[in-house]
Amino acid sequence: MAKLHELAKVIRSKNAGALLLTLDIIFDNEEAYRTVFDSGVLSPRKIASLYNLSDNQVEIIAFEVALAIKITIPRHTIAGSPGDSDVYGAQQHAPLLDLEITSG
Amino acid sequence: MRPIKIMAASGMLGYGFTEKAFNHGLSLGIDLIACDAGSADPGPYYLGSGTPFVSRIAVKRDLSLMIRGGTQEKIPVFIGSAGGSGSDKQVDWTLEIIREICNEQNIYPKVAVLRTELRPEQLVSKINSGKISPLGPIKNLNKKDASETHKVVSMIGAEPFQQALEEGADIVIAGRSSDAAIYAALPLMRGADPGLSWHMGKIIECGAQVIEPREGQDCVIGTIYHDYFTIEPGHPDRRCTRTRVAAHTLYENPSPYELKEPSGTLITKSATFEQIDERVVRVSGSKWEPSSTYTVKLEGVKKLGFRTVFFAGTRDPILVSGINNFIEACQTRIERDSKAIGIDKEDYMLNIKVYGKDAVMGANEPLRDQNAHEVGILVDVVSNDQDTSKAVCAKARYSLLHTDFPGRMCISGNLAIPFSPSDLSAGEVYEFNIWHIMECNDPMEPVRMELIIPNDPPKVRLNG
Repeated sequence: MAKLHELAKVIRSKNAGALLLTLDIIFDNEEAYRTVFDSGVLSPRKIASLYNLSDNQVEIIAFEVALAIKITIPRHTIAGSPGDSDVYGAQQHAPLLDLEITSG
Repeated sequence: MRPIKIMAASGMLGYGFTEKAFNHGLSLGIDLIACDAGSADPGPYYLGSGTPFVSRIAVKRDLSLMIRGGTQEKIPVFIGSAGGSGSDKQVDWTLEIIREICNEQNIYPKVAVLRTELRPEQLVSKINSGKISPLGPIKNLNKKDASETHKVVSMIGAEPFQQALEEGADIVIAGRSSDAAIYAALPLMRGADPGLSWHMGKIIECGAQVIEPREGQDCVIGTIYHDYFTIEPGHPDRRCTRTRVAAHTLYENPSPYELKEPSGTLITKSATFEQIDERVVRVSGSKWEPSSTYTVKLEGVKKLGFRTVFFAGTRDPILVSGINNFIEACQTRIERDSKAIGIDKEDYMLNIKVYGKDAVMGANEPLRDQNAHEVGILVDVVSNDQDTSKAVCAKARYSLLHTDFPGRMCISGNLAIPFSPSDLSAGEVYEFNIWHIMECNDPMEPVRMELIIPNDPPKVRLNG
């Protein structure tokens, strides 16, 4: 059992336009990528529970050529509107860091 | 087809590049020097106010070198999304810098100016004919939304750049443009594979993000061959790596496999990335699916009013442990005190954020019930006019500083205020109200093109 931040090289978040947030998890070796991917922990249900969304608002895309997993979700507030706390969306990744990855 | 070499001077005009990289790049025989100058990431203010988010000095430095390089090599220079958001005001700001450079370098280039700002009225007929639809989770655009819009720009594709070249432009300065289109336009015009052209453009538009070691922005070069393209740094001592190039396709895009452009979609599903030597990565297999309708993205903002902010900290453990109840009590008091001076709740937007608690992630914060030893409190007030936002912010400051809470010992003041004046006017506030796509009859529909020679009165005639 390991935490996601122990297996990944990059865990980042960023706007994908003013309406969406995209979270990238990038690995530096295929084994770690496989372990996380095969564990099934990164599921729409899990991400939805971390970000207060419903399952169908979460899109998860594996991008094996870059050993990466991409998660795209809607922003809670349009970027830069009153009440927004993160105009660039660069600090929304923290809930992913300690996800427990149980090898499948 | 001979290879076509395109140099992206920097990931952002004004973020800089090294002269070593630029000159080495030029020595390789470049067909086009280009740079993207825009992003919507800094938020709606820059489009709303027409203010650039990079400095004039930095932009002039980058442009001077690019234009000198273009003149010397007799190759075109493209700038997309001029001034940051590509509004007319920001295009004119960039044009003024180009005029200065042309005077200084004593040159008379033909400059094509592609203005892409639309008048809100132009949207109405498009709304009536159902040609505008949301780009993501935002509501449909109606006529009322259009009439409330302060500024709107269309994000143009490759065709206007191509038309500018056909008209003989040496420099093209464009309003809001697809990042990749700036780089894909020339190869497409010369018959290069569209999948490769767009994918190459998509990779080099962020400049040195694909370069190691990461030492700030710099030039990157894409070269298109018959059935592949290569990516290499301009700088002879730096390198592009397969991982960085592949990973870049992820960056800031909702999907790494499908990238929508005005005239079609780039499909990277079967793209392969190979490190062919220490500095160069080869990419092949990218595909292009042309679309039957030509669509441009629209970015628009409406004006909400004016902002006043106040920031302070508290180190009182009793207050920190009950901060949520305290903020709630203050909100009620601010509302009441504002009303007492004639300001209704509907006249302002008040946001109070507690740093050290959940200011960054709000309801998504997993540790929001954990207590820090000190917290920061940010008050953000937006109202129709500056005076009202100042008045509410002053009430908020007073309330946070002096409101009682259970067990209070620090009765001379709840806050450490870090500076004087404590309340700061943050100017105009805008909101993105248009993030849509618009169908066009042809690629030039949302564009106004003008050809000029931006030098004070020409000392020589251009065409003899």
